[in-house]
Amino acid sequence: MKEHLRLAWRNIWRNKRRTIITIASVFFAMFFALIMRALQVGSYGHMTKGIVEAFTGFIQIHKNGYWDDKTLDFTFEYNDQLIKKLENIENVSAVIPRLESFALASTGEQTKGIIVVGIDPEKEKEMTHPDRNLKEGAYLTDESTGVLVSQRLAEFLELRLHDTITLLSQGYHGTTAANIYPVTGIVKMPNPEMDRRLVFMNLKTAQNFYGAYDMLTSLIINLHDQDLLSHTIKEIPGLLNGEEYEVMDWKELNPELVQQIQSDQYGGFIMLGVLYLIVGFGVLGTLIMMTTERKREFAVMVSIGMQKKRLGLILFFEMIFMGLIGIITAIIGSLPVISILAKYPIRFKGEFAEIFEQYGFDPIMPAVLDNSYFIGQSIIVFVIFFLSIIYPTLTVLKLNETKALRA
Amino acid sequence: MKLKFHISGFLLLFGIYGSNSQDATEIIKKADDKMQGEETSYSTMTMKIIRPTWERDITFKSWTKGRDYSLALVTSPPRESGQTFLKRENEMWNWNPTINRLIKLPPSMMSQGWMGSDFTNDDLLKESSIVVDYTHKITGSETVDGWNCYIIDLIPHEDAAVVWGKIIKWISKEEYLQLKSEYYDEDHYLVKTETAYDVKTMDGRLIPTRFELVPEEEEGHKTVVILDEVLFNKPIDDGFFSQQNMKRVR
Repeated sequence: MKEHLRLAWRNIWRNKRRTIITIASVFFAMFFALIMRALQVGSYGHMTKGIVEAFTGFIQIHKNGYWDDKTLDFTFEYNDQLIKKLENIENVSAVIPRLESFALASTGEQTKGIIVVGIDPEKEKEMTHPDRNLKEGAYLTDESTGVLVSQRLAEFLELRLHDTITLLSQGYHGTTAANIYPVTGIVKMPNPEMDRRLVFMNLKTAQNFYGAYDMLTSLIINLHDQDLLSHTIKEIPGLLNGEEYEVMDWKELNPELVQQIQSDQYGGFIMLGVLYLIVGFGVLGTLIMMTTERKREFAVMVSIGMQKKRLGLILFFEMIFMGLIGIITAIIGSLPVISILAKYPIRFKGEFAEIFEQYGFDPIMPAVLDNSYFIGQSIIVFVIFFLSIIYPTLTVLKLNETKALRA
Repeated sequence: MKLKFHISGFLLLFGIYGSNSQDATEIIKKADDKMQGEETSYSTMTMKIIRPTWERDITFKSWTKGRDYSLALVTSPPRESGQTFLKRENEMWNWNPTINRLIKLPPSMMSQGWMGSDFTNDDLLKESSIVVDYTHKITGSETVDGWNCYIIDLIPHEDAAVVWGKIIKWISKEEYLQLKSEYYDEDHYLVKTETAYDVKTMDGRLIPTRFELVPEEEEGHKTVVILDEVLFNKPIDDGFFSQQNMKRVR
């Protein structure tokens, strides 16, 4: 056996050029499959991050019925004890109270429908990070009465720092909500859709504006480890009073996002499938060429007493060696490329960028470097390679040496 | 038997149509004038908005002149007091003192509830169009709350800009009180019912002073308006119903 392996290893380096061509075909198959997958996984992560981590959070708690009819009539009272209890769940990294509703924002001639988000300035830092995205002005404090306006909204309304924004809406129990606020800061939201229509204010200010004193529309829960989401979410209903609340995870909160990722994923699988098909036949082609080229050599070997089985086995090992070398070099080769793409994502421009923005995403395509897809892709490429080996090996086993000698 | 029924039905229809068509319009006009005042009216009202889980009160003053002009000033709750609404012909404005802004209510807001109640802005704007925008027909009589009433169908004119497909009103034969109204949509489904109670003499007129509006589709929703004070035909200048006055009136 050892002898066979050694023979195979020597054999593949006898004709270096041929070997390198075969390895290269595997290398590129693996290399492109890895990069493609890295970009796909990366862009799903980017989509989720853009919405989940930047705004909706992994889990939200509302008053039962709020999600179907997002009015302030479905609000619940701020409950310190409940928040403490939720914070004590193992995987929960933060519980963030919010009062969210709609309003008309106006300055002079321009008016636009916007989302007003009343936040706890300190806690929100752990979630949306408006403090980090601050472009101008100062972040909110517990005492501030001003508002933070998202950048594109500020541009649309032609608002500058310290200008006045007029907000008009319907408040709690149908009261009129109308007031004017100074703009104390401008924040750039990573999600373009959010960036076009968001106004942050202190929770107290929002509660006064809507006449919903001490009320919240949602508690947003952030997690340490999102993979444990399904375990963590099970612990929540036990802490709440029965039917009063609804608990939703980010997939329920963003059904469009989930659908989009799913459809994109299927598209991605088809692309990968096409790639596999092309490289599979490429590899098969080179392998057949290799064996055909060596038919005479094989015939001579068999004529002088080599068993066909042993010859087939040696050829099999040769091809496995080449396959493994191809896969390993591809992994090594793709690592720097993927990490560069992860650090400096591809940024789209022009029309393509607009499509992204319409869906509400920053027009970038980052890669992600983690081991989740390396193993899978290696196995798939190896299986494809293995399938391509079968035919050349069989040709050796069925070799007609007299014909092959005269060929 | 069946034939007999048909014939008598026809006779009944023709009889009513022939003799009462003009009367029906006359009745509606009298009933409308009675509530609106022939010239002007001034009233203070309390509106209770009742929802399954909460209820709140709004008080306001209201001035009207003829069919085209009206002005309303919200006097409580404090959060909302000082807001005014002006209606001139087919347009409606809202003045909000907190934001110091005059807003013309766009057509898209016409079907929204006024101050969160079951009355839409359109209801307030079009309240007097029942005389001019509809054809009226007496279809029978019935006793409502002890009052002998005509039942009158109001079908909108083809070109009238109204939201209802049909209105049925119960108007008392004496005193012309609008005791009950049913509002139907284009497909003739009942949308809401307005019922009037507590008939009292206010400023020398016998009128109902409590109105309940119940939307059909929403369980537990109700808006009650109580007339606290009314003065009819006190002269009001046209200039009173102006945008300037919206900001001044108290």
